[in-house]
Amino acid sequence: MRIITGFKRALDLHSPGRNLDVFPDDVFVVSYPKSGNTWTRFLISNLVHPDEPANFGNINRLVPDPEALPKRVLNQIPRPRLVKSHQYFDPRYQKVVYVVRDPRDVAVSEYHFHRKRRLIPDGYPVDQFVRQFIAGTTTQYASWGENVGSWLVTRHHRPGFLLLRYEDMMQGTVGELAKVASFLGIEASQDRLIQAVERSSKEKMRELEKEQGHLWSSIKDTRQDVPFVRKAMAGGWRSDLPPQSVAQIEAAWSFLILYLGYELASEATKDKTEMRVRELLLGGPVR
Amino acid sequence: MIYGIRFVVKYLLGKDTAERNFAVYPDDTFIISYPRSGSTWSRFLVSNLLHPDIEVSFANIDELLPATSSRSRRALKRMPRPRIIKSHNYFDHRYRNVIYIVRDPRDVVLSEYRFILKGRGIEDNYPIDAFVARFLKGEVSTYGSWKQNVGTWIAARGGSERFLLLRYEDLVAKTAIELSKIAIFLGIETTPERLTQATERSSAENMRSLEKTQGDAWVVTKGRRKDVPFVGRATSGVWKSTLSEACIAQIEKVWGPLMSSLGYELVNAEFGNAVAPDVSLSKRLYKVQF
Repeated sequence: MRIITGFKRALDLHSPGRNLDVFPDDVFVVSYPKSGNTWTRFLISNLVHPDEPANFGNINRLVPDPEALPKRVLNQIPRPRLVKSHQYFDPRYQKVVYVVRDPRDVAVSEYHFHRKRRLIPDGYPVDQFVRQFIAGTTTQYASWGENVGSWLVTRHHRPGFLLLRYEDMMQGTVGELAKVASFLGIEASQDRLIQAVERSSKEKMRELEKEQGHLWSSIKDTRQDVPFVRKAMAGGWRSDLPPQSVAQIEAAWSFLILYLGYELASEATKDKTEMRVRELLLGGPVR
Repeated sequence: MIYGIRFVVKYLLGKDTAERNFAVYPDDTFIISYPRSGSTWSRFLVSNLLHPDIEVSFANIDELLPATSSRSRRALKRMPRPRIIKSHNYFDHRYRNVIYIVRDPRDVVLSEYRFILKGRGIEDNYPIDAFVARFLKGEVSTYGSWKQNVGTWIAARGGSERFLLLRYEDLVAKTAIELSKIAIFLGIETTPERLTQATERSSAENMRSLEKTQGDAWVVTKGRRKDVPFVGRATSGVWKSTLSEACIAQIEKVWGPLMSSLGYELVNAEFGNAVAPDVSLSKRLYKVQF
């Protein structure tokens, strides 16, 4: 096994993941898993390539995923590249579109994605999953708070970093995509923006998933009865999460949740000292 | 391709440098700091505390308390657990137990300058203000900028029970007390005598004399300039007499809020925080256990 891995590495046939060769002109589409990353990839791809509508067959070429493609292929993609990533802070990423989503919805979405990948059975206790989610053991990308916090503290309010909220993207997709266009230096007409949004709608993506789901490395060989493109909505946690799980998530990350403009539902014991510490770190014109 | 083959051979033998690519266990404890912030000193302190019967030196420090930057994956894998490992890495989610040592960046930049001079990365008389500008951008190190390194750890783990934040300046001013916090964090039973002994054995004088006799054998110093010492002045506040006002302002302008929240007084107060950090905050942040 090690020999195979070793020779794959020598021939650059391995997927580099975090060890991707980064170029200074790369643009990264970063988010914690289950925070709208695939949707954002479709939106940006449809914006940048109006002549080639994005689908699950070509998205790995248009906005490549360093977890899914071999290093050799990644290094041959024409520059400047658009690269998908779930990584927490990496100093080499110079230009970053970071999509953040309410962690309570992320937990629900991650739960169903784990079911789809057969990592947990149907009926697995949600509260148990949420405890693992908070501890950061459900993904290889740290916990939600660690991932989001590592990017905000280093890059928020700096040039080369565009912070988008999934919820704002849901509400005003065209307007948020216009921000991406100007971040990328693309002069996009209203028509072009609207076309990109329509080509990336959840209806369209659901349809594409049905036809092409088996082609896409991220979901092939997973359960077909659990969809990848799920409800695509905000606030589902209110009905899907038990109150104690909501309280646990809010207690773990109260500062970040508030800082990002989400409201707390539970009477979480906000640790004011800790809040101050992080406020000092994140607040102000950080360069 | 040649690099590829060399890599495969090293990889198969497990002899590639660990860096970020080695297996981490949940019971590992990491001593982390930005480069030039007292990490070698703290390795000596902890090793002397753990091994009172061994003479800790540059010849055996990589065995006693290895670093991810100088040991191979295999060497780390062979260590008995629970392991204590030194690293300069910015946030890595796999590190569950972390002792982080932070140092005033105005002193770090001077120490880094000397270290790069020692490694012949810059010439004598390289302008310090040009160096400061590169330092601020994080270009002089592969471990991110000072703020990226310190900030990612505090943002991700600040306030957590498994994160002990210490300041180099406190370590200099009251070594035995700060070392006792490390001992508690590591779950080591100790006595005031042993703390004092470890402190004395790890003194700057002792480390300087060890460097003289063993510098050629240690991976970090061998082949580098001998007229520039690795063990520097080992004090805090050298920047006050050495760094120009312009350089000080440059650093404070960029990192002022984080510096003042760590308790480093700014020369240019306007670059700090509107909110003054209070003592209780620092106490909580550093997890003082007395």
